[in-house]
Amino acid sequence: MSHSKLSIIGIGEVPTGIYPDRSRWDIIYDTCMAAVKDAGIHKNEVEAVVTVAPQAQPDIYGEISFGKIPEELGLKGCKNVCVCNAGGASTSNCLRLAEQLIESGAARYVLIPHLTVHSTIPLPDLINFFAKAGIDRQWEYPYGQTYNGIVAMMTQRYMHDSGTTAEEMASVVVSLRKWAALDPNSMFYKKEVPSIEKVLASGMVASPLHKRECNVLADGGAAMVVTSAENARARKSPAAFKLGEGSRFFSAFTTTRDYEKTGTDMRDATMEALAQAGLITSDIDIWNVYLAYPVGHPLLMDLLGLCEPGRAGKMFMEGHTAPGGKLPWATIGDAVGRGHTGSGVSIATYVDTARQLMGKAGERQVPDVKYVYQCTSGGSGMNFIASIWGRD
Amino acid sequence: MAQKPVPVMQPWTKDFWTGAKEGKLLVQHCQDCQANIFFPKKVCPECWSQNLTWITSSGRAKVYSFTQMLDMVEPVFWEDLPYVIAFVDMEEGIRMTTRIVNCRMEDICIGMDLEVVFQPLNDEVAMPCFQPADPSLRLAAFSAETDSAEDAAAGALAMAPISYQTIRYETGGENDAICFITLNRPDKFNAINRQMAKELIHAFRRVREEAVVGVVVLAGAGEKAFCTGGDLEIFPSLAEHQSSLNWLAHEGLDVQRAISGCEKVVVCKIHGHCLAGGLEIALACDLLYARESARFGTTEINMGVLPGWGGTARLPRSMPVFRAREIIFSGRKDYTAREIYDMGLLTRVFPDSEFEAAFEKTVANIAAKKPVALRMGKEIMARSVDGCDMETALALERNAIQWLTYAPDTQAMLEPFKADPSQLTRQQKKDSMASDQS
Repeated sequence: MSHSKLSIIGIGEVPTGIYPDRSRWDIIYDTCMAAVKDAGIHKNEVEAVVTVAPQAQPDIYGEISFGKIPEELGLKGCKNVCVCNAGGASTSNCLRLAEQLIESGAARYVLIPHLTVHSTIPLPDLINFFAKAGIDRQWEYPYGQTYNGIVAMMTQRYMHDSGTTAEEMASVVVSLRKWAALDPNSMFYKKEVPSIEKVLASGMVASPLHKRECNVLADGGAAMVVTSAENARARKSPAAFKLGEGSRFFSAFTTTRDYEKTGTDMRDATMEALAQAGLITSDIDIWNVYLAYPVGHPLLMDLLGLCEPGRAGKMFMEGHTAPGGKLPWATIGDAVGRGHTGSGVSIATYVDTARQLMGKAGERQVPDVKYVYQCTSGGSGMNFIASIWGRD
Repeated sequence: MAQKPVPVMQPWTKDFWTGAKEGKLLVQHCQDCQANIFFPKKVCPECWSQNLTWITSSGRAKVYSFTQMLDMVEPVFWEDLPYVIAFVDMEEGIRMTTRIVNCRMEDICIGMDLEVVFQPLNDEVAMPCFQPADPSLRLAAFSAETDSAEDAAAGALAMAPISYQTIRYETGGENDAICFITLNRPDKFNAINRQMAKELIHAFRRVREEAVVGVVVLAGAGEKAFCTGGDLEIFPSLAEHQSSLNWLAHEGLDVQRAISGCEKVVVCKIHGHCLAGGLEIALACDLLYARESARFGTTEINMGVLPGWGGTARLPRSMPVFRAREIIFSGRKDYTAREIYDMGLLTRVFPDSEFEAAFEKTVANIAAKKPVALRMGKEIMARSVDGCDMETALALERNAIQWLTYAPDTQAMLEPFKADPSQLTRQQKKDSMASDQS
């Protein structure tokens, strides 16, 4: 038995994509009710609602901050409600808040919802938000910097340092899209997986980043019910147990980041999480990496020594990370494969970590999975949170 | 065009921007722990000392990484596309985000040596940008001797033509006096998507800087079409009111404005289909030559709308209004070149077999004229046909000729003839005969 204190016992999710008839509150109702039902508890047993901040959606941000979710859902037992914002790392922090609420005795079951509806945000507002979130208004933005520009520069440098080729970078997209094609909650479910040639033939957005190496903004949502590990064990239902966690903050902006130290910190955070779980990298069955763009994937694989130095790109190219491969990697296909739901890709990754450990992942189910590595990052890569999850 | 975003300053960063305006790159420095600090802060982030000062940077840096921005940027930056953003490591141990200017994209590499150069953003703010430290890698249009704001902008623009994705931009002809801008999406009938609109606007502004160019030839690539208008791929985005209005009023319409406002004579070379927005682009040009097999029309009314890039404004100004109305109301796309010519629109129609040779000869003749005279002629005729009264038009003409006559290069050309005016008469006769086409 592990020293786990937290477990996910219920998950609910709606498909990612553009659904004009599906409102924000439709998503909240559908995901929360599904998660509570999946957990096998009564709605009034939820004692706290800790919501992932709905980025770029100020109206509903306000509604949720001031308690509308427990009100709408009639969660009569709810004692605490709050919103947590750390960009793409919000879900990790929601889980930590939930863990503290549970550990302190303030709540037995905590509901963690998330929703994003990008499609009805007026385009100028959306552009305005993404142009400035995580990009400094004084030292970066006036030069015409964008998220794609930042990632393009990181990709350029990574390819230069590691010798990774454009074809190998494109193969990361292919691998992620292979997972997505099997995922009913992906906007690319059952869609043709692009070939390396097709990825490279898509227009250049910011060299060396092609259109198909960027993310498509989409709507989506998910929810989780969490409880103490002790309670989860007693219930004897499938659950995902948090076994270890490590985190680091780097810098708010990419200009001021020490990239060498960032690499060391990512590795250290991972090793801390593994050490807490009493595991080593070879124990991990699934690497559920959320880093939003292709470059983070081979970079992290290299950093963690999961392949021979400088061979990460080839690991993707040779299919080891794709469904059926020896190193199952990002089983929802990260933001490239799932569709980018702002801070929502992180909760979707956690939900899939739980789904895999609960044995509910359908076609994507990795056989005999015992341990899953999960990571998140917020803003323009301001931080890194690694965690290890297991069946107990 | 919307204003470029200006740096959002803090009281403790204002000195940096004052220095940049004066052509100095300042680095914040802690006098207690000796740290160099970037981004500048209220206190030293290393030791929290407030004993901060500024040192002047050497201005030298190396490229840590870079990217050429080609798409998906905020509209306010579209006019800059493509542009290069980079992380650069300064000698003082700080890293900056900046732009690399005055350099060919293919010459930029990680580790490249750079030096700072300041580009005005507005009257009050200058942005530190970087150019190659090696003068041989700098573009000719942007030398150290000509680092005024206008020249700086020219340097940045000079990077563009090598990077166009949807058009071709070439200069040629006698003395490189002709610029060929070719719509280059032949598999899409050269339909105009957002990228092409941006590139056309950029190209027609860029050509201003080509001092020896007098004529721009606007053509379409491939066999099928000159241009069939706005790409249907844009239509879904037009469902949103603001997006639609922006496309009609700015992003798309600015293409026509860039052409009609271009200071060169723009000659439209038409083959295949010339429809809808494609015809409206042609209408913004100065001279229109068509193959006999070309087909014309405005089809917007078949979708319940109307030509939206000047069609309803320019067609009735280009032919009798009763004919213009038929073209717009009928939605036909099969008007022949001869029909359109007879209705009053085209400059000239040539049989297909003779078209290339006749077109080349016609353009070469016009391109042999002095660019400044062509520019002046274009401008005063545009004002004249826009509806000013006769006396105003005549005054414009008179003053334009006076200006041209006393332009320094005209006077320099006339100088040798002052002693023997009969030589001038002979030269004029010779030039005039060379212009005849028969």
